Amino acid sequence: MPAATPASPAVPTARSRTGSERAAASQYGDLDHRAPGPTSRSSGLRSFVHALPFLTPSLFGVVVFLLIPVVLVVVISFLNWNEINPATWAGFTNYINIFRFDQAAHSLGITAYYVLLNIPLQTVVALSMAVALHRGRRGSGLYRVLFVAPYLSTPVAMAVIWYWVFDPQLGAVNTALAHIGIHGPDWLSSSQWALPVVALVNIWQYVGYNMLFFLAGLQAVPKELYEAADLDGANKFQQFFRISFPLLNSTLLFVLVTGVIGSFQVFDTLYVLTQGGPGNSTEVLNLQIYQLAFTDFKMGEAAAMSVLLLGVILIFSIGQFMFFRNRTTYEYSV
Amino acid sequence: MSISSLAVGAAGSRTGAARSRATATKVARVGKLVMFYVIMTAIAFVFMVPYLLTLFAAFKPISQIFSQPAWYPPHSLYLHNFVYDFSSAGFARYLANTFFVTAALTVGQVFFSILGAFAFARLSFPGRDLIFWLFLITLMVPSAVTVIPLYTIMKEAHLLNTYWAIFLPYVFGTPYTIFLLRQFFRHIPQEMIDAARVDGASDMRVLFRIIVPLSRPAIITATLIALVFGWNNFLWPLIVTESQNHYLLTTGLANFQSNMNSQWNYALAGSVITLVPLAILFIVFQKHIIRSISITQIR
Repeated sequence: MPAATPASPAVPTARSRTGSERAAASQYGDLDHRAPGPTSRSSGLRSFVHALPFLTPSLFGVVVFLLIPVVLVVVISFLNWNEINPATWAGFTNYINIFRFDQAAHSLGITAYYVLLNIPLQTVVALSMAVALHRGRRGSGLYRVLFVAPYLSTPVAMAVIWYWVFDPQLGAVNTALAHIGIHGPDWLSSSQWALPVVALVNIWQYVGYNMLFFLAGLQAVPKELYEAADLDGANKFQQFFRISFPLLNSTLLFVLVTGVIGSFQVFDTLYVLTQGGPGNSTEVLNLQIYQLAFTDFKMGEAAAMSVLLLGVILIFSIGQFMFFRNRTTYEYSV
Repeated sequence: MSISSLAVGAAGSRTGAARSRATATKVARVGKLVMFYVIMTAIAFVFMVPYLLTLFAAFKPISQIFSQPAWYPPHSLYLHNFVYDFSSAGFARYLANTFFVTAALTVGQVFFSILGAFAFARLSFPGRDLIFWLFLITLMVPSAVTVIPLYTIMKEAHLLNTYWAIFLPYVFGTPYTIFLLRQFFRHIPQEMIDAARVDGASDMRVLFRIIVPLSRPAIITATLIALVFGWNNFLWPLIVTESQNHYLLTTGLANFQSNMNSQWNYALAGSVITLVPLAILFIVFQKHIIRSISITQIR
């Protein structure tokens, strides 16, 4: 689905498994060995040729459109290249320049601030909605559908709509505020408000999606635990904080990490709502990359910025991967 | 609480107290239920308000958009905004382009992913696990990072400003979809495949006569993922297309919005045009979509 929520292989197993099953199928190594393996070199070659018609298209796609580009972006980041003159070797100049002139540090800071505005609130709301809906009261299904709808809505189209909703004169927000006697700010042209508004739009778009993960996580908590807690006289709050919440740990981490990674990649909404402005108050990394490459034609610097973004995201991805690798084995061993 | 103590005071007798305690819990339960519906409906309302306001505005003349608050419904079924968007603002072209590009992307992505997933799930060849790992690792690479090199590749291949450039990077199958389908294909009973092989079926036949029909839910999910991705994609088409002839709804709408001079009626009608096909898709497949989001990511 949209790039903002990259699908990671490192997802927690929500289904509780037995210990032996878990040991047998560590989530990442459980490749299918049922099919007989190649015995000799010639049969190995034959089986490879046999697999080629199936494998070639996607292998071609992944190599040409994913792997080669990753290598290329690193190469370009060491070149002086502006699309007009022939490229020359630049060493680390681009990396120095992005911090010196293009405010890479500023962009990183803005992105971090955006994550901070975005993720805690989104997670708390998503979890609360999941807790409210997971008991399956009549109508829960409809609410769930309504909460998820924004996730599939074209971000560009929604951004156009939000631009209007937050318009200082015509917008519904300021018109409503005026009714209760408040003079609303120029939301998107205020360096103080622009980023919070973008974060709010993003929360609106993704909170229902994240709720689904918490719902799946809650569904996996064994019902007997609640029954036992009921017998012991634990109230609903105690049950949530002592039972549900600890068991949602890995779901929570998954939602947090994918949320952070997604936040680092926000583009569509910002492109329409602020274009990085006012000033450079909403200039996140992704937007800088775009502007450096396609308005300033500084390909080398844009590539260096991309490598920086890749590095930051890899740290989170690898962290998540390691966590779940060590984690899935012990999960739900209550 | 207060109701129950009042009731106790009035009844006095033991049975009365018991009955009133029962009513009290009932009252509490009904109260909770009412609170649940009030809060949930309020949240749902907040979620739906932007759509509702936009639908209103899309059917209003610009004068009404400027003179009345956004929550006033349109006076009549005013269709001029849509007529203008389609006839003069290029949206007919954008819509057709988006349909075409999304269809090409989806068909290719699903078909080639099925082939790849079959190789990883059901064939055995040297290097299979290694290649599969390679695919999984690429899942961590954010699309923003590959944009610049991909652009240079497309430029060198003289594909900029073509439809090809828009869907080519996604049409050969994606690691995620292959991963998803592979998980499903692996759980199809080996006996069914063995039986077909005994009857002399080739790999292609096994795949398309046995595995694909049995994997319908996963293939529908893969198709929906590709459709939504193709429809919503923005950054990539923005980079590789310059002429309006190749604009999609997303790029066309963003371009229109940046040049519109407060012609909100047209911009918002354009948003409606962009959103309605997805809304239809969502309504038709809502159960499947919701189930597949939570199943495919958390297994």
